[in-house]
Amino acid sequence: MRDTLTSLRYRYWPDHLLGEILSKRWTETAIPVILLLIIGLALSRSIDNFLSPASLADTARQAGEIGFIALGLALVVIVGGIDLSVGSIFALTDFCALYCLDVLGWPVPAVVAVTLLCGALLGAVNGVLIGYLRLRAFITTLITLIIYRSAYDLLIQRYSNAIASAFPDIPSWDFIGAGSVFGVPTVALVYIVIAIFGHIFLTRLRPGWHITAIGGSRRSAYNSGIPVRRTIALCYVASGVLTSIGALFFASRLGTVGGDIGVGLEVIVLTATVLGGITLGGGKGSVAKSAVGVLIVLLITNGLTTMNARGGVNRMALAGILLVAAMVDIRWQKNRTRIISKVYVAPTYHSLPPPPSTEIGQGGPFEQNDKLRNVESIGLGRIEAPEDVILDRHDNLYAGSRHGDIIRFLAPDYQKMEVFAHIGGQPLGMAFDRADNLYVCIGGMGLYRITPDGTVEKATDETNRSMRSVNDDSRLRLADDLDITDDGLIFFSEATVRYEMDEWPVDGLEARGNGRIISYDTKTGATRTELRGLKFPNGICVASDGQSILFAETFGCSIKRYWFAGPKKGAVEVVMDNLPGYPDNINLASDGNYWLALVGMRSPSLDLAWKMPGFRRRMAKRVPVDEWLFPNINTGCVVKFNEQGKIVESFWDLRGENHPMITSMREHRGYLYLGGILNNRIGRYKLDNADPNFVQYDNRWGKQS
Amino acid sequence: MIAAVREFANRFLGRGDATITVPSFDGALRPNQKLESAETLLICESPEDLATDGRNLFIADGQRLIRLDGGTASEVRSFERPISALCALPGGGLAVALGGREVHLYASPSAEQPSVTFADAAFSAVNALAPADDNTVIATDGSATCGVDDWARDLMELNRTGRVFKLDPASKKITVLAQGLGHAFGACAHGNGVLVSESWRHRLVLVTPGSAPRTVLAHLPVYPSRLSKASGGGYWLTAFTARTQLIEFVLREPAYRRRMMAEIDPAYWVAPRLRSGLSFKEPMQGAHIKTMGVIKPWAPPRSYGIVIRLNAEGQPLYSLHSRVDGVNHGVVAAIEMGGDLVLIAKGPGRVLRLPLAGLAEEFSS
Repeated sequence: MRDTLTSLRYRYWPDHLLGEILSKRWTETAIPVILLLIIGLALSRSIDNFLSPASLADTARQAGEIGFIALGLALVVIVGGIDLSVGSIFALTDFCALYCLDVLGWPVPAVVAVTLLCGALLGAVNGVLIGYLRLRAFITTLITLIIYRSAYDLLIQRYSNAIASAFPDIPSWDFIGAGSVFGVPTVALVYIVIAIFGHIFLTRLRPGWHITAIGGSRRSAYNSGIPVRRTIALCYVASGVLTSIGALFFASRLGTVGGDIGVGLEVIVLTATVLGGITLGGGKGSVAKSAVGVLIVLLITNGLTTMNARGGVNRMALAGILLVAAMVDIRWQKNRTRIISKVYVAPTYHSLPPPPSTEIGQGGPFEQNDKLRNVESIGLGRIEAPEDVILDRHDNLYAGSRHGDIIRFLAPDYQKMEVFAHIGGQPLGMAFDRADNLYVCIGGMGLYRITPDGTVEKATDETNRSMRSVNDDSRLRLADDLDITDDGLIFFSEATVRYEMDEWPVDGLEARGNGRIISYDTKTGATRTELRGLKFPNGICVASDGQSILFAETFGCSIKRYWFAGPKKGAVEVVMDNLPGYPDNINLASDGNYWLALVGMRSPSLDLAWKMPGFRRRMAKRVPVDEWLFPNINTGCVVKFNEQGKIVESFWDLRGENHPMITSMREHRGYLYLGGILNNRIGRYKLDNADPNFVQYDNRWGKQS
Repeated sequence: MIAAVREFANRFLGRGDATITVPSFDGALRPNQKLESAETLLICESPEDLATDGRNLFIADGQRLIRLDGGTASEVRSFERPISALCALPGGGLAVALGGREVHLYASPSAEQPSVTFADAAFSAVNALAPADDNTVIATDGSATCGVDDWARDLMELNRTGRVFKLDPASKKITVLAQGLGHAFGACAHGNGVLVSESWRHRLVLVTPGSAPRTVLAHLPVYPSRLSKASGGGYWLTAFTARTQLIEFVLREPAYRRRMMAEIDPAYWVAPRLRSGLSFKEPMQGAHIKTMGVIKPWAPPRSYGIVIRLNAEGQPLYSLHSRVDGVNHGVVAAIEMGGDLVLIAKGPGRVLRLPLAGLAEEFSS
């Protein structure tokens, strides 16, 4: 009953998604967006006409104006600085535009050009001081804030009457402020265009990357040859220009030069920037974040104004939000990886019935014996981590090593050892094709092909991305074992899509079906995921019927069959389940049966823990990996099973002294060769009653002349 | 209320009592492999305790009492129940605990009949005996509910029912000196009190009549067991196994422990053991994986061998180890005889001998 509830709870509640979602970079934008939706919904419920076209257009106009300033500030913040003078620049450029238009009577294009130039110059002052003279951004822009503001105050004393008395009637000027295209205000359109360019600039263009790099680490950026000073200075110039664009729209909309224009604007824009999720420390941010932040701030201030809140309350609310947002931002940036690593591991319910007996005297197909006691060692102490072993038509023996090599031991005595090919990743399963190319699964890299002359070629390292997975599962993380069909289709297993190869124990702790089986067509080069949701799929072997493959699910303790052709195409059937150990590689035997390596044996304590996901989750959090309850992979055995899934024979090494671990085996000319991923040797065992002329790939592809 | 909230928060966050930290083998407890080089005097089926009258070495081996004289072992007598504790009494006598439930005192090792028999209903797991100065015998009883050999269950049930008794042969009176101990296992007279090993609390306490036990040595990374006097002042403290973070964690997981005790053969529990590596059904931890054919000595010990030399104040001076890749695990008794330290490694069933000469110089830091 309790187990049923636990199993239902873990089957239908996707625990693993939380960690995957949190580790996505877009979550940092998603949170402000959700906040925006909540606020929008709340305000539209409490204020009438909040979402009417007129109200929306008005909001869009304001949003556009502030949006430009926020874009500029975003650039400056991403590059690692801050610009407090935006409010004063806004006021000065507003004055500049109206002065040129109303007092000097210039044509509109000239007004626009001069205003932008004015903004650029004002920003350049900041830029030179901060970028080239290395002054502190905060104090510098605070000072320019005061200077620009004083300048503005002096100027409006003299010219405000002249500006206020002028009523220019220029259609193009009015279009800037009040025009709209298909109901969308001009300012919003221009903002959208510039925002799209800004997004491309920041994410796709070299200067944008430079800005992010400088914000992330100024010293590293300098050491990589990025012109740090110039880039920083230009960011302030850009901030000035963008502010002046906002001021232009403002000027044409209202046409006033009141004393309070731009006062407190820096707080609004700063709040928007931080609220959108642009980190004040620099190096992180996007245009989308800036836009979302602006909308949130505008909705809040407009909402408060509509609800008749006084100006003081409004500003206080903004300041409060700024404080909270900055705090959340800092805590999140500091603890992000820690939080993710804590919630990423999500064990699930995995129940296995009591295993068949293995004790001596209890009988049964798995009764332990000492047949493997006389295993000889090949390459003892000279090879490390031969997960799989394979023999070619000329009796040479190949095995992977953890140094990323394919090692070849030369027939007939296997004393001479040479590096056949260097790949760089840990070689796992291996198979020869018809033309004697060696296909190898490389943990962390994918499927590789080694031609008979030792040239290494990549076969595939990605497959189709599944639509329902949050993690990008198109890259191969842990290609494990493979076999090749008569038609040149390679089926290979990928043990897990959630972890790297060295993290296999974490996958075992989760005991979720994180693995899959993928096919690679040697003729077309196409890669396709065939099966997913498998519990650490491992060994693969094309069955004798040529229409199906047998595959092992290590943590599922089962062998299954998958039909890739014939009448049952696409079906999956259990061949053997509830094995007493963890199945690994499968290979053909000379008598038509199959060899199966059990890499480790089940222990009752882990079987119980697999039924208790909460226990394992806490263990993952509190206990270091070295002390976790592991699948026991110190003892294993080799079994032979037939087409019907019956165990024919088992081979054990009771003490495990000669050959501590078995991950693979390969029959060749009356001998069984044994590999083990944590071994420093290859085992060789003389089989009784085996065909002394059996050569797997002669048998498979026909003898070569 | 506040305590309950705090306890909940601790459990949730893994803080306070919920931490599973185990002190490291450091300082005087720095590991070595000295016990692996000890000479094996005798291999027997289930050695339990040692005693010496100065000339002969007596070994409790299951139901048999064995005398080791030089190189030859001879059976002195045998009992109906396994011997659970043994000690030599001043004047050539011998005290024997049988099955944890009764204590017999003999005037001499070969005496026909016991001079005194204590068989109190309170006895459940008498696991160590020690002579006291006033002609009495001190007995420690590990648990009121679990038998002597069932100590793993006692640990897993978080029992705190260990007791220390004083047995007076003259009046045949039994006095309880202390109770509520986390598995009392081993005692040695110390001044006017008794030093007692409190295994489940990983500490050594001083029990004095009429006052609460006082901690002498705490925060041991091992589960301490029997004590004996060392020549030149001080004590030999054995520890039958070492702590691991996994077991500390399991001790804080009631649901898992309950199901483990109900569903799994005790041999395969996640619990400390006196020997390990016998079956692949035993729990395996990450660091136990044999890599390139080697088991790491620093792997978390399912079984371990250690004896600690304490000074007269009960503070450690140095220690002798058999690490995870060793054999001589489960040291439950150590006594000095002549110039040698004689130990029982219960794991492999061995009686071991180490010459004392040079030990202090080699291992004292």
